[in-house]
Amino acid sequence: MENEKREKFIVPIGPQHPALKEPGHFEFTVDGETVTGATVRLGYVHRGIEKATEDRNWTQNLYLLERICGICSHSHAMAYSLGVEKLAGVAVPPRAQAIRQVTAELERIHSHLLWLGVAAHEAGFDTLFMFSWRDRETIMDILEELTGNRVNYSVNVLGGVKIDIDTERADSIRKGMDFLEERTTHYLKVVTSDETFLRRTRGVGFTTTEQAETLGLVGPTARAANVARDVRVDVPYITYADFPITITLDTRGDLEARFVVRIKELFECYRVIRLILDKLPAGELTTRMPRKIKEGETVSRIEAPRGELFYFIKSGGGEKPERVKVRTPSINNFALVTGTAVGHQLADMPMILAGMDPCFSCNDR
Amino acid sequence: MKLRFASMFGDMFRSLFKKPVTEMYPFKKTSAPPRLRGELMYNPEKCTGCQLCVKDCPSNAIELITVDKANKHFVMRYHLDRCTFCAQCVENCRFECLGMSNEQWELAALNKESFTVHYGREEDLQKLLGKPLP
Amino acid sequence: MDTVKDILALLFFPAGLAVIFGGLAYEWIDRKLVAQLQNRIGPRWFQPAADIVKLLAKEEVLPEGVDQWLFHSLPIIALAGVLTAGLYVPLFGLAPAHSFAGDLIVTIYLLSMLTLCTGLAGANTNDHFSLIGATRTLTQLFSYEAPFLLTLLGPAIVAGSWQISEINAYAGSHWMILTQPIGFIVSMIGLMGKLELPPFDAPEAETEIVAGAMTEYSGRGWALFRLGKNVELLIGLTLIAAFYLGGLDNPLTFLLKTLVLLLTVAGLQALFARLRIDQTVGLWWRVGALLVLVQLLVTIVLKGVLT
Repeated sequence: MENEKREKFIVPIGPQHPALKEPGHFEFTVDGETVTGATVRLGYVHRGIEKATEDRNWTQNLYLLERICGICSHSHAMAYSLGVEKLAGVAVPPRAQAIRQVTAELERIHSHLLWLGVAAHEAGFDTLFMFSWRDRETIMDILEELTGNRVNYSVNVLGGVKIDIDTERADSIRKGMDFLEERTTHYLKVVTSDETFLRRTRGVGFTTTEQAETLGLVGPTARAANVARDVRVDVPYITYADFPITITLDTRGDLEARFVVRIKELFECYRVIRLILDKLPAGELTTRMPRKIKEGETVSRIEAPRGELFYFIKSGGGEKPERVKVRTPSINNFALVTGTAVGHQLADMPMILAGMDPCFSCNDR
Repeated sequence: MKLRFASMFGDMFRSLFKKPVTEMYPFKKTSAPPRLRGELMYNPEKCTGCQLCVKDCPSNAIELITVDKANKHFVMRYHLDRCTFCAQCVENCRFECLGMSNEQWELAALNKESFTVHYGREEDLQKLLGKPLP
Repeated sequence: MDTVKDILALLFFPAGLAVIFGGLAYEWIDRKLVAQLQNRIGPRWFQPAADIVKLLAKEEVLPEGVDQWLFHSLPIIALAGVLTAGLYVPLFGLAPAHSFAGDLIVTIYLLSMLTLCTGLAGANTNDHFSLIGATRTLTQLFSYEAPFLLTLLGPAIVAGSWQISEINAYAGSHWMILTQPIGFIVSMIGLMGKLELPPFDAPEAETEIVAGAMTEYSGRGWALFRLGKNVELLIGLTLIAAFYLGGLDNPLTFLLKTLVLLLTVAGLQALFARLRIDQTVGLWWRVGALLVLVQLLVTIVLKGVLT
């Protein structure tokens, strides 16, 4: 009786738990402090957005889909607009594409810095949390100045973008990039050298390259395990072919590697943003978009901050889509938690969870 | 590789002598950037009543009420509480009679009535609001 | 007359209410310092007191399956324990309210009551977070208690007394931070372990086990536990300042010395990531206990040689 009870000692994390800022349910079976089993249950923030797209017109859906996620809102809107533009056979002007790329990379910076803070908080390192979020405020201010909002930027319209980057704003972005580059160098040093922090990250949540491929990991989580998987490099969309990204890889596959990969990606973001600002193509911002999209179906893939974001869009030839299917990067990465939890300490669980940068709100839609 | 403790010490030591970065928001207000999307503003003079703003509004926050079609008199009923501040209506309007304010963005209120805003010419508003609304 | 004086000393000053308010003030200073170190503004001066008032006014939820008597009495015992400890230490730089030969040992045990009560409170409920928190609290208790005790014994041996007031008087002319630096460092870290401050906050790590052993406590019980912790912070700082920083003989030196210690504690809190419980235990037994033992041996031998 006593043994049986002991074996079934389950520690629930979520749906309401201080470790998770969004609802998701994880059950960790523990023996003392060691985890012997893990299960995951999702769907707590299902809002029926995919169904709701079916009775809104093409433009209205842009804003509905943008609100799937509060962190990668531009990624969702961009993936959707790219799909719809492909269906309609509309070519978006190069300047608009470049501005989309700038916003996407700015968003990646904001998302990675946010993640750095959250992950540091999970490790009980609140000072790093506070400082990284203080510096993240720089990027939020840039986004607000550039697009008019801190979170749902609404940069995209079907067939182009709403906002232009003038010299004044380009300068303020450059200034922000310089400041952040210096800070990011410091954070890279912190996460690779702080002994107490390394004790919580080094060797924790380890996956081999084969495991990562079997689990189907995407995004920085996969790249930390040396899986060269990045949509921006594999199938360059918008202007990623003109302003290419160098893929960031790490061979170690543990939590430390995930920190290092994400922080190193930030340097790529800064470099590419500066490059685009210097060579911003001239031209129109928008092009005419038909109200009715001709019949057909398409997929569009982009690299959101968390990994590959996949949209399937089907049009019946009317003003509204027939079906929009979203597959977010988080759903692939959840396998990491259940796959690597066993054998770790209970104290490592929030770290492993945060290490894949889960987005329940994207995931459940 | 040299392992170190206390890598955040420099930051902490410097911030001991620095003012906190916390923004004292309600007490000290900073102005919003010019592109900020706040409350929707409507200029009835140029409006032709094409209804494009109403059609593409993702949250049905705009109603355009025709007062006098021939003379192009319209009243806009704007539901502040439904608005998602996406500025699609501003983008759609070809006559530049819509815009989003960067000053009116503290929009919280205690009663529901203040979330329904009417824009239009003085006489139209009188005509429309003087009698019970349809 | 003496009885009245005793009761006053017990209820108001220097023990009793004065310690409680002193503890609240020190909690605020600690939080404010940590905030300043993290470039934030931190709470306003009345925040800890306001929290306690709010908690005292709130409903106390009695979870199912607990021993009711134990659930209600544990917070009271915990607070009573640390308040009693306040009688024997030179609070505010004044002479202790009570003093007898061997009160150091009593004080050390009284200070452990809080942790013990926390552990019991966690073990009393059926909540899984509480149970794990209780296990961790008690594990941590066993790891830091011995080294912490030894660090306080060091000065006692040098002073040749088990009475806090006598050690305090002896320390007035001997800054033991210079002669026993290891003891000082270990006692500071031991105090942080005792109070479950970061980086030793694994027993109440909110991102793992919510509030640890205290998860099921609300309202009054939780308020009393928090008060107990604040008072323990004040008493712990007083003890270390009295033993290692050249004694406390008036309120001014008390304030100066304890605040310097508090600044150190705040700095250490902000500097490190949380240690896992196994890392905490390893650190204490492999490093802390050994170092202090060596120092204690050296102290004893030197004392024997010199006298």
